[in-house]
Amino acid sequence: MSPDDGSVIDLHNPWLAALLAWCVPGLGHFYQGRRHKGGLFMGVILGMFLAGVWLGGGKVVYASWKPAEPRWAFVCQAGVGLAAMPALVQSMQLAGAAKQPLLASTFMAPPLFPGQYVSRAYAERLVASDPDIDQELFFDKPPLRQFRADQLSMWQRRLGRWFEFGTLYTMLAGMLNILAIYDAFAGPLGAAARDESDPRRS
Amino acid sequence: MFPIALLAVALPLEALLASSFFAPALLATLADKAPGFLFGLPLVALASLVFAATHHEDPAEIRIAAIHWTVWLGGILGMVLAGVLLLGWFS
Repeated sequence: MSPDDGSVIDLHNPWLAALLAWCVPGLGHFYQGRRHKGGLFMGVILGMFLAGVWLGGGKVVYASWKPAEPRWAFVCQAGVGLAAMPALVQSMQLAGAAKQPLLASTFMAPPLFPGQYVSRAYAERLVASDPDIDQELFFDKPPLRQFRADQLSMWQRRLGRWFEFGTLYTMLAGMLNILAIYDAFAGPLGAAARDESDPRRS
Repeated sequence: MFPIALLAVALPLEALLASSFFAPALLATLADKAPGFLFGLPLVALASLVFAATHHEDPAEIRIAAIHWTVWLGGILGMVLAGVLLLGWFS
């Protein structure tokens, strides 16, 4: 029920709406016919996420569960749905047998840590695309190459505070989408609170 | 199929981020000189807007609640910032 005018809100299938709202912010609300809120959530949350990616030079959204530097921020970033999922794919690919992200792309790939093995193709790609990385930073260990620097430190040194701002924006976008998912699943939060305080309820 | 579709979107985006368009020199210089808290202000306003939208259904009510929450959040964070600045000034 709407907390504003008391009209009934048709949530259709709340589980499907919640799933759609997670996949793409606002999509669950579009499915329910709540186009105004759907557009608002989509614009604000996706806009905030993309602004964060832009501010952080495309380096702030990645998944890494290495003991040296687990990326807890990704837990919040994952709330934004499919937009953050390439990071998960890239992380699994880099840790897998291929030792390189999908098509050796650096997009949302986790940073390399000292001693990490990567494919030759990915090493070449990094040398070509990252001005801080040259051939000297790799040991040749056929058929792979071993990185001997800390790429995360390089990113933080180069981006400075923009790395933190980008991380903050993308994390907040993910967390705000959790609120939007709840709204798609159960309706406005204000409705429940107002309903409980209504003396006519019983 | 899904990873291929993902890359069809990801690769142009990667090229965009790596291009000079990403950080024009003037914009980067201006942004580097701006105080950090200015980059928090849009977050306060947008978080208030989303929070308000999760409590109301009517667009007019959402706008009023968003302004209400922006003032409250901005006020509280502004007081914290003022306190921190005062502490730094006295120390």
